[in-house]
Amino acid sequence: MKIQRTVEEAIVLLRKRLCDPDFIFSLFSDSPDSNYSKLKFIVSSSVTEACNNSILLLGPRGCGKNAVLDLVLEDLLKEYPDMISVIKLNGLLHCDDNCALKEIARQLCIEHELMFSKMASSDDNSQFMIAMLRECGLAHKTVVFVLDEFDLFAQGKQRLLYSLLDAMQSVSSQAVVIGISCRLDADQLLEKRVRSRFSHRKLLFLPPQKDDLQRLLKHILLLPTDSTLPHDYVTDFNSRISNIIADKKFNEIIDKLTDADCTVSNFVRFLFSAVCCIDSKSGYMTLENFKFALSTVQRQPKLDCLKDCSILELYIMVCMRRLEFKEQESYNFNSIMKEYKTIYDSVQNVDNYSRNVCLRAFEHLLDRQLIEFADRGHNQCIEFRSVKLLISPAELHQGLKSNRSCPAILQKLMNQEAKFVANG
Amino acid sequence: MAAMAETPKTLKQTPKKSLKSPPKTPIPHTPQTLASPRRSLRFISSPIQTNQTISPANTPKTTIRSKNTKIKPSKSVDSLKDDKIDTLDAFSPTSPDRTEPKKRKSRSESVSARVNPRVHEKREIATKRLKPKRRVYYKKVSYDGGEFAVGDDVYVKKREDASSDEDDPEVEECRVCFKAGRAVMIECDDCLGGFHLKCLKPPLRVVPDGEWICGYCEGRKLGKNVKLPEPPKGKKQRRTAKEKLLSNDLWAVRIESLWKEVDGSFWYRGRWYVTPEETAAGRQPHNLKRELYRTNDFADNEMETVLRHCYVMTPHEYAKAENEGDDVFLCEYEYDVNWHSFKRIAEIDNNNDEDADEEAPHDDDWSCDEDSDSELSDDMEYEEEDRYNKPAPGSTPAHEVAANSRKGHTFGLQKIGTKRIPEHVRTHKQTELEKAKATLLLATLPKSLPCRNKEMEDITAFIKGAICDDQCLGRCLYIHGVPGTGKTMSVLAVMRSLRSEVDAGMTKPYSFVEINGLKLATPENIYRVIYEALTGHRVSWKKALNLLNDKFSNGVKSSKDDDRPCILLIDELDLLVTRNQSVLYNILDWPTKPNSKLIVIGIANTMDLPEKLLPRISSRMGIQRLCFAPYNYLQLQEIIGCRLKGIDAFEKQAIEFASRKVAAVSGDARRALEICRRAAELADYRVKKSTSLPNTGKALVGMSEVEAAIQEMFQAPHIQVMRSCSKLGKIFLAAMVHELYKTGMSETTFEKLAQTFSCLCTSNGITFPGWDTLLRIGCKLGESRIILCESGASHRLQKLQLNFPSDDVSFALKDSNELPWLTKYM
Repeated sequence: MKIQRTVEEAIVLLRKRLCDPDFIFSLFSDSPDSNYSKLKFIVSSSVTEACNNSILLLGPRGCGKNAVLDLVLEDLLKEYPDMISVIKLNGLLHCDDNCALKEIARQLCIEHELMFSKMASSDDNSQFMIAMLRECGLAHKTVVFVLDEFDLFAQGKQRLLYSLLDAMQSVSSQAVVIGISCRLDADQLLEKRVRSRFSHRKLLFLPPQKDDLQRLLKHILLLPTDSTLPHDYVTDFNSRISNIIADKKFNEIIDKLTDADCTVSNFVRFLFSAVCCIDSKSGYMTLENFKFALSTVQRQPKLDCLKDCSILELYIMVCMRRLEFKEQESYNFNSIMKEYKTIYDSVQNVDNYSRNVCLRAFEHLLDRQLIEFADRGHNQCIEFRSVKLLISPAELHQGLKSNRSCPAILQKLMNQEAKFVANG
Repeated sequence: MAAMAETPKTLKQTPKKSLKSPPKTPIPHTPQTLASPRRSLRFISSPIQTNQTISPANTPKTTIRSKNTKIKPSKSVDSLKDDKIDTLDAFSPTSPDRTEPKKRKSRSESVSARVNPRVHEKREIATKRLKPKRRVYYKKVSYDGGEFAVGDDVYVKKREDASSDEDDPEVEECRVCFKAGRAVMIECDDCLGGFHLKCLKPPLRVVPDGEWICGYCEGRKLGKNVKLPEPPKGKKQRRTAKEKLLSNDLWAVRIESLWKEVDGSFWYRGRWYVTPEETAAGRQPHNLKRELYRTNDFADNEMETVLRHCYVMTPHEYAKAENEGDDVFLCEYEYDVNWHSFKRIAEIDNNNDEDADEEAPHDDDWSCDEDSDSELSDDMEYEEEDRYNKPAPGSTPAHEVAANSRKGHTFGLQKIGTKRIPEHVRTHKQTELEKAKATLLLATLPKSLPCRNKEMEDITAFIKGAICDDQCLGRCLYIHGVPGTGKTMSVLAVMRSLRSEVDAGMTKPYSFVEINGLKLATPENIYRVIYEALTGHRVSWKKALNLLNDKFSNGVKSSKDDDRPCILLIDELDLLVTRNQSVLYNILDWPTKPNSKLIVIGIANTMDLPEKLLPRISSRMGIQRLCFAPYNYLQLQEIIGCRLKGIDAFEKQAIEFASRKVAAVSGDARRALEICRRAAELADYRVKKSTSLPNTGKALVGMSEVEAAIQEMFQAPHIQVMRSCSKLGKIFLAAMVHELYKTGMSETTFEKLAQTFSCLCTSNGITFPGWDTLLRIGCKLGESRIILCESGASHRLQKLQLNFPSDDVSFALKDSNELPWLTKYM
């Protein structure tokens, strides 16, 4: 019983670590080349030297742009209490200029304990923002604007960015605009007068290297020796983890994972599912856990879909494939039914379904996005609209193989075609 | 100052140092109180104690010198040499005018929630205003032998019985020998005591550079029990006004307005200064000895209370004030008495400027009768009154007004302010690199604007011609040029110099409205903004349009004030183009009307904006144009060099490199400045992070930093991202390039690409990851815009295209360690 509790405690600890981006990214924060220290230097120099900056954090998703920024802001708020106010906007929510200005005014009001009125016009709000920037600058307070999904702010007339950046170059303010975007060309999206006002600091967030991942792995999975957990358990657990890490098979798993996607977030997701399937009886991580985690992380949704298809649905898809093979560019439900008929006529052992049933199966395929309409006409009947097959022949072939209830005749029909391809 | 006239000016104050240390003037000789035992402790502990029970002996502020004070002969304070002026009788305790405090008391009961003892005095105005006759306002008053003008700083007598200080010595005495004399004195930066150079042990020959602390203070700092030399018996310790102020026996105010009451007595409205001890935060370690805070607390007093001038300066002036004398103080912050918070005083105090601007023409040059003058001031006071009546910290939030919607007046901003001034701001000594960074900021306004002299002359000539000439038609100037070529800056600089000419009375007054097209919510809003700027009233844009039409085309003048010419500066003019272009037409049509007296200056980026518009608009706008060409590299170099003058932080070639690069790309001065700033930042970062070589002192910004900054600014980081892609991502990109070479078509579909991909995989012994994984990899690359792709939902029909030249991809993947075979496909 007691062991069980220990194990649970250990698992909770590991999960907590995995869900806490601060813990994960604090590993990379100490070296001077890290984005953490560069970003911290820029923001803190803005705080101490009263200057305005605008920075872009670029990089693929899942590389910790937001996490590192949060870490930096958290540290700076500790270091300079009462001197930094953070305004956070998200391009998905506030890409409309008026709405963004309102949100800025609202957050500024909350931050400085002022009353906020929802009714204020956007002119009022922008004046308020500029006045606040000025006042905060005079009071040695830095305002940090975090614009997540920065590329979405760079649409239309970009009034928000213009007024923010223009205020920063003319008022005695002390502000930092931090744009976060996964688009590498985010700064090219800016209009030229906005771009001219932008100070073009860029920090690039890249996925970690192999050895960094190894460090991260140890950083996360090794239990701390100075915790409440029993000492024997911790040493045992840690030695087993070290064994696994040294294992060749384990490295293959990691390679397979990182070959497809080497970002930190993907890696953490993988570790999380591995931790989740720790057997609570034994209480130690095994190689099996990681194998299972890999299979859950790298799923093949379309193949899974095909696996679950009914036979009739498979028939319809094979018919579509055959039509395509005959270089019939556009086809609709009726032509598919015709093809189905010819198969039925030429080959024995094919079940005959009524047209209505086939239509139901057809709609089902549409819902699953295995096929889709080629046109946008909405007033037509489903039967007459032209459709396209979304999965490739290779996938279909694989899907037929993996589907257990698939009749041999269907595979044969596909194979015939494959032979044609091979010969032709 | 008088005292200084006799002491040889030996000290050359270096401006940079004196920010840290008060000017070490060869000190006017004055008797010094040693430590200040009489310093009223209550002010140190609680500056906000209630002082409602006014004892006649200790009536603060309201003390009025007896009416029978002899007005001293017209000997200005400045001309007083070290002959001791006996001002004894001037300060003789007299009973203050008892009616005043009473009146005040009754009023102040209503505001008793407010704790500040000084607050109640504001209330006087209300009573005053009831009086039927008018006050007469002055800009300058000659009183009691001194000339006092609005904006001057003066000492104010605090209490009647400042007993021990019978006289008011202008000169300081040496702390060791207690004599004044002509010898050079040095001021201790810590205790502000004055010492003869020869009285020191060991004696000094010249005044040293930098900070200097006397031996006593040094000893005290080391924890020794130091005894200052006792003054010779019988000799009184005298204190200068400065000392009294710093120990709270005197007050300092800034005169905000001056007037003569109906009964003939002179009054002033003063803005208090407080010493650090009087603030809620107390004296902070970074406070300088001679530092004062300006408050937002006003009081009206009779001129009798004024002692004499003192000089409260901004740090900038203070640094320059070399041997100004003893009554020099430094003031950098404003202290909010309600919120106990600090705020820097804006360098250009816009409000004051505007007020001054309003008042200036009324004063004497542009004659107006007194009535309007005093009305104006009354209005101002009402406004101020409003401001003071804002809820005190204790009041209920129910009455609070929303901060962001008050018809253009933001409300509640006084709340913002630091409770303590952060230490690093004051005590940090800037390195050369930091100075360079600060001066390269876009927000810092350079002292001179090089390279745009011709354009500025053109603008000046245009505006002056338009203002002076009454019947000139079509007064419209269109300024165009790429961003960052100084268009707006030049116009504003011209307007600044014109304003100073107006102030000097050389040019007729005019009103100036500045509008930015990108900051308007809709183009039509411009009418409202113009109308508000001209009259101060807020109306809907339709009504504003009608009113403006009346004003400009029909010549209806609402008041005599309206006769001024109006200069309208519209930045980002292209944003005002609507579908039927009516906004632009209206605005550009007004100047053509006779008597409109409207001058429009439009600024935009495109050269051919007038040609793109309707002919009736372009005929009105396109006549006078001014082109701001992009800066060439010499000009950029001059701009940067001009800002960096006197700061040794950049290598010469580095600046040239940056300016050449920017001139080749865009000629945008902002970019050039930002590159240099970024380069300085990189150098600073390197210096601060490198622990191995501790502060070698000189860290010049070299070519490598500039190069890095340019890279950061102009280059998309796609190569690095491609290099750090996952393995399959790299193969994906290689397959894209391969596909491109094979077919010659830049666009491909996912299905074709997957086939190529599987070919690459099988021929190089890599397991094909499956279509779904491949799709995900493609979408990830699409997210960061390395490739352009449709949404992943279209699966095999998804269209893909490289976003960067294929050469970039092959360059990035050329020497990849894990996949050496990739090169042969590219």
